[in-house]
Amino acid sequence: MFGFIRPVKPELRMREVERFQAVYCGLCHAIREQYGHLHTLSLSYDMVFLALVLGCLEPDEPATVRRRCGVSPVRSKPVCLPGQGLWRAADFSVLLTWHKLGDTLLDEHGAKYLAAKTMRALLKPGYDKACARLPEENTAIAACLAELYALEQAKTPSIDQPADAFARALVMAVPHMDEMTMRILRQMFYHTGRWVYLIDACADLAEDWQAGAYNPVALRFQLEAPSLAPVREDMEITLQRSLADIFCAFQLLDVRRDQGLLENIIRLGLPLVTRQVLDGTYQSNGGQNRHGSL
Amino acid sequence: MDPYKVLGVTPQTSDDDVKRAYRELARKYHPDNYVGSPLADLAETRMKEINEAYDMIMNGRTGNGSAQSSAGQSSYAGAGGQASSGSNAYARVRDAINKGNLSLAEEMLQRSPGRDAEWYYLMGTINFRKGWYDEARAAFMQACAMDPNNMEYRNALNMVNMGAGYGGYRPMDSMSMCDCCTTMLCMNCCCNSCCGGGC
Repeated sequence: MFGFIRPVKPELRMREVERFQAVYCGLCHAIREQYGHLHTLSLSYDMVFLALVLGCLEPDEPATVRRRCGVSPVRSKPVCLPGQGLWRAADFSVLLTWHKLGDTLLDEHGAKYLAAKTMRALLKPGYDKACARLPEENTAIAACLAELYALEQAKTPSIDQPADAFARALVMAVPHMDEMTMRILRQMFYHTGRWVYLIDACADLAEDWQAGAYNPVALRFQLEAPSLAPVREDMEITLQRSLADIFCAFQLLDVRRDQGLLENIIRLGLPLVTRQVLDGTYQSNGGQNRHGSL
Repeated sequence: MDPYKVLGVTPQTSDDDVKRAYRELARKYHPDNYVGSPLADLAETRMKEINEAYDMIMNGRTGNGSAQSSAGQSSYAGAGGQASSGSNAYARVRDAINKGNLSLAEEMLQRSPGRDAEWYYLMGTINFRKGWYDEARAAFMQACAMDPNNMEYRNALNMVNMGAGYGGYRPMDSMSMCDCCTTMLCMNCCCNSCCGGGC
């Protein structure tokens, strides 16, 4: 997805940093094992968060091994072996990336279009495999994103409507389990999706403006310049409400591990990114363009 | 139910620490944090468990007489709670909202002809329940502008703006300063002021 969901490293314990990196590497290894090298491009911090949330509910303690990989060929790194949650996050990453690429195809022309088209052809076998593993989820995601596309085409002057369509796609990541846990996770993922969609819209405002592309924030507030300054308060309020909902839902989960790490992401990481994006000080990947660096 | 497990304490824990653990949990699951949330019932169940566990532990201990959990379980009607004056149609919309049938409520509201303050308030409430906070806020603002003296509308707007119903969680405030030390200091102050010098 977008990589907005990340912990605040200075506030983490050493073992939490190691655990986050082990799950990050674990997800990458799981994707590669199941779908091949190319699909590891779909890896993102957002999906690591998903894997952590699903993983924190599993009764079995996850095993960690040390492994090397193409990105770190010399030094082996701790890698979390996939449990059900990690596998699901891997499948879901592949599905979501495929569908997002589909949107790019509909939007772009020329070289970018060709690149997306080629990429999609290469990713097709993996996508088919993910479809076979999560058929219902695939149909639902496709429907949600089609709805989103229609809203974008209609230049709907709303932020809640497109965010809702995207959020419902993310809710599909919730696996079948007991009804109570599913309800909590649905609420948590809905607002995670809502937040991600809106924060992405805010972060892309200048770029969309320049390209003359659809931007829900610009349309909703009828902005006259590509600046968030006039809407900072409105956006902050609406984003904060979603953050509070994520947190309140998380409190109700029966968490078996990674409580501190997840709380760090929800209570510190997401608010920090919110502030940075609204202030215009956000840099992707924490300003360090290094693979897997926190 | 093992009351000690619920509060995360042991039979050896002192009364004060049990009380502290209880308060901590009660603040976490307080109904105010879940007003309008689809998970309100789960939080309420959790709250009930905590209250029962606390009463069981404290009543079981000698010399405590009959302790009562201090969290007053006042009724939290929440947005759209009270049946009010409005017309019959609005009463039915409120009823649907309270039963959790948001799509029916929305449909009824769309069909009703008037666009008065109450209409906007109810539309805001439906959006609030759906988690569509931007549209909820716009509708509540409209309701307040049309009927500035209505406290129900005003409270609803405050709720979106994070006045009430936000427990101890203020995500942006804690990260308003980039300096982590300052943040820690502030958080420490917050902790101290809420749980009576716990840290």
